[in-house]
Amino acid sequence: MSIKELLIAKAKEGKVLTHKCTKCHHLHLSNVYYCENCGSKGFENEILEGTGSVATYTIITVPPAGFEKYTPYAFVVLQLDNTNLRISGFMAGISTPSDLPVGTRAKIVGFDERGIILKKQ
Amino acid sequence: MEKVCVLGAGSTKYGKLSDSIADLTTQASVAAIESAGIDPKDVKAAYISNVFGVADKQVHLGPVLMSNLGISDKPSLSIESACGSGSVSFREAFANVAAGFYDCLVVTGVEKVTHTGTEWTTTYFSYCSDFFYEGQAGASFPGLFASMARAYLTEFNATEEDFARVAVKNHDNGILNPKAHLQKKITIDDVMKSAVVASPLKLYDCCPFSDGASSVILCSEKFAKESGNDYIEVIGSGRGGSPAALQGRERMTTIPSTKIAAESAYKMAGITAKDIDFAEVHDCFTIAEIVDTEDLGFFEKGKGVEAVREGRTKLNSDISINPSGGLKSKGHPIGATGVGQVVEVFDQLTGKSGARTVKNAKIGLTHNFGATGASCAVHIFQSV
Repeated sequence: MSIKELLIAKAKEGKVLTHKCTKCHHLHLSNVYYCENCGSKGFENEILEGTGSVATYTIITVPPAGFEKYTPYAFVVLQLDNTNLRISGFMAGISTPSDLPVGTRAKIVGFDERGIILKKQ
Repeated sequence: MEKVCVLGAGSTKYGKLSDSIADLTTQASVAAIESAGIDPKDVKAAYISNVFGVADKQVHLGPVLMSNLGISDKPSLSIESACGSGSVSFREAFANVAAGFYDCLVVTGVEKVTHTGTEWTTTYFSYCSDFFYEGQAGASFPGLFASMARAYLTEFNATEEDFARVAVKNHDNGILNPKAHLQKKITIDDVMKSAVVASPLKLYDCCPFSDGASSVILCSEKFAKESGNDYIEVIGSGRGGSPAALQGRERMTTIPSTKIAAESAYKMAGITAKDIDFAEVHDCFTIAEIVDTEDLGFFEKGKGVEAVREGRTKLNSDISINPSGGLKSKGHPIGATGVGQVVEVFDQLTGKSGARTVKNAKIGLTHNFGATGASCAVHIFQSV
């Protein structure tokens, strides 16, 4: 299983595959091949809970192709709990800013053709 | 390093245009060559910037241009760096003249997409994001800048009306630019009542999808002096990068690549932000102009919004930001934009800007980035 396939498999379990540098322990999302802190290439997988709070978001009303049937929806940048990492995803059923104040608790609940799927906790 | 000069500049009108991408490329290049008062045979190579040539069934634009100019034996290349393609291409051309490889080059940017419609452009532009995390999850470009706008509203004392003021100002400038796409006066109320595209950004917070081409002639100082024509000097050139996705940035209210590129350009020029008389900045969305003016060092972080509210970025105020009308009003043919900014600076510093002239301007800056600022180039120019 490639790293990307494992990331997707973990997202479907509500978790996030991350890469921890074996030299300096800096934590990255799993797409990184060299540590941004020390330049080292050694990583170990660390699986995080896909829970956190909304760092920022938008509600999209003019969508790209394929998203018409979901519109309006939110694109969300999620601050993951207990780390400095953020991850982005799709959130259905959001139509006004009052539905999703910054700081709202949210979690990863899946992965499909809309990428990482988020839901309010 | 050789001193590098801009000897000529030209643009097509920006807007919904009927000519082909190849014709637009040629028209702008001919305008630049004629502005420079040179013979096409003086041009040693072409640097082309373009993103979606496929939309008009023509990629590999360089040889088509060179054939049309009667210099098909001369080399050319195309550069794609999303909406920052024009300034990146300009930078590479600058480096080649500075290194002494060529004494005269044409740099031409072009885009032709309006015939494809909003859904196509929204979709294809989203491919310029970090697609796995952003485009795939339904993030359009208005959506990504709206996410920055939401972060700015959360972090600082700003309102959606403040964003609207940027659009109003840039339209006021664009009315004075005969080549601008949207030559129309608008009010804060017009912006606030326009349709929401990606909350909190509304239609009038967004630049239009535009067709158009811009071109400049870059040359050595020796070549410029011998030509006997008006020219300006490139005194600073800087580039920088940012994490491809917004999620990778420590703050979503700043664009790291802008700061890196600006610092490098100021250092090369031996000046600071205070010395800049006017700037053409990347205002693809109203929030972007506010963030840009802070990252370029014109205002402290969080204070750019106050400057807009107080009218300090209007034409001939404290610092004229986007006298051309910017991407917002002049238009945003994405491959052309970075080159078009240089056209504006050339026209301003050689007395060709008419009613939108920045008075007593000696030093102008261009700032252009790709995607949400994942790549960026800043250039600084001085009148001679």
